[in-house]
Amino acid sequence: MLTERQLQISPIVQESVMHNTKTLTTLHNLTASLFGVGAGILGLESYPGFLFYLIFSLITSALVYAFRVRPGFIEESQAQGNSGMGRYFRNSMELWTGGLFEGLSGFVLTWTLFYGLVRA
Amino acid sequence: MAQIPVQTIHRDPQLFYWILIPITVVMILTGVLRHYATVLMATEPKKQELPAIREQRSLLRGINLRTNANVISPASFQARKDYLVNAYERGDFLKDPDKKGQAAANPMTDPAAMEGMMGMMKGNMAMMIPQTLIMGWINAFFSGFVIIRLPFPLTIKFKSMLQAGVGTRDMDPQWMSSISWYVLCIFGLQSVFNYLLGSDNAASQMAQQMGQMGPGAGAQMFGPGVDPDKQFKAEAENLSVLAHEYTLEGVEDRLLETVRV
Repeated sequence: MLTERQLQISPIVQESVMHNTKTLTTLHNLTASLFGVGAGILGLESYPGFLFYLIFSLITSALVYAFRVRPGFIEESQAQGNSGMGRYFRNSMELWTGGLFEGLSGFVLTWTLFYGLVRA
Repeated sequence: MAQIPVQTIHRDPQLFYWILIPITVVMILTGVLRHYATVLMATEPKKQELPAIREQRSLLRGINLRTNANVISPASFQARKDYLVNAYERGDFLKDPDKKGQAAANPMTDPAAMEGMMGMMKGNMAMMIPQTLIMGWINAFFSGFVIIRLPFPLTIKFKSMLQAGVGTRDMDPQWMSSISWYVLCIFGLQSVFNYLLGSDNAASQMAQQMGQMGPGAGAQMFGPGVDPDKQFKAEAENLSVLAHEYTLEGVEDRLLETVRV
């Protein structure tokens, strides 16, 4: 955790934090609905369906990490020797689990809809 | 545990065209409509008189000074602090300095306060009316239809929730009636609205309910029934006890550390 003095020197701007979170949430919401479509068309039931959602959400997060977060801090981390996650997120859990629960309701909705449509 | 055979119910495919899809489409369109209704109904902030604005702005100035104190030098902070604390304590910025000692006006009689309440009422109405209408519409036309099956099993407790309006005792709780589909739509369409209207939309009922708690904090500050003189006094006290620590202190050392050769 940063001390108060370090926070003053390199402050965390609330607007930027909110913008980052919002961007990530939008991505997760949208992809969750699409995963629901996929799970419904595949006709997955109960546990495989939720597992499908979990795995693909994590893949989404991993892609965000690999393509958006990683290149940004690669020089920085070489210079300072830290993991560099703090450049965009306050802790790494925010990236990995942040959108998991927000997207779940959208996932269930489209999953049910397409499952019903395909298996009618 | 014995394997329970999966219940199969043969549904007319017409159910999809005449119940499932209409409900979904209506839900999405209502969300879009609610968003634009909220945008259109939002009243512009009423023009306030000069002394009232001065009262609010000078209090905000104190708060801003307090939050950003560390980025200005000690001398300029001291000057600002002295000026603001003195002015606050004398009540220079008050809207009407004569009423300094009196209690605040009753919020119900203040027309400005009524305006705020009307805005809140409108927001509530925009949420309540469509909800009631659609609920009534679904009840009137589609009650008692089993339309879709959830792809995951649920315990028997969910039966009354999912099969509202269907009086079949032995049916698997996975089967959903049209009302439950409506409920599922309320929760799940957030992402669709996010996609259609941008993430600051007013379409979702969930977001509305969250938002009702949010703006309370902002309204509290200049809201009716709060004595501005007391707020000024409190802010003066906050300012005078603030420990000032200049951010740029020792910046040369920090700079030299980063460029060490």
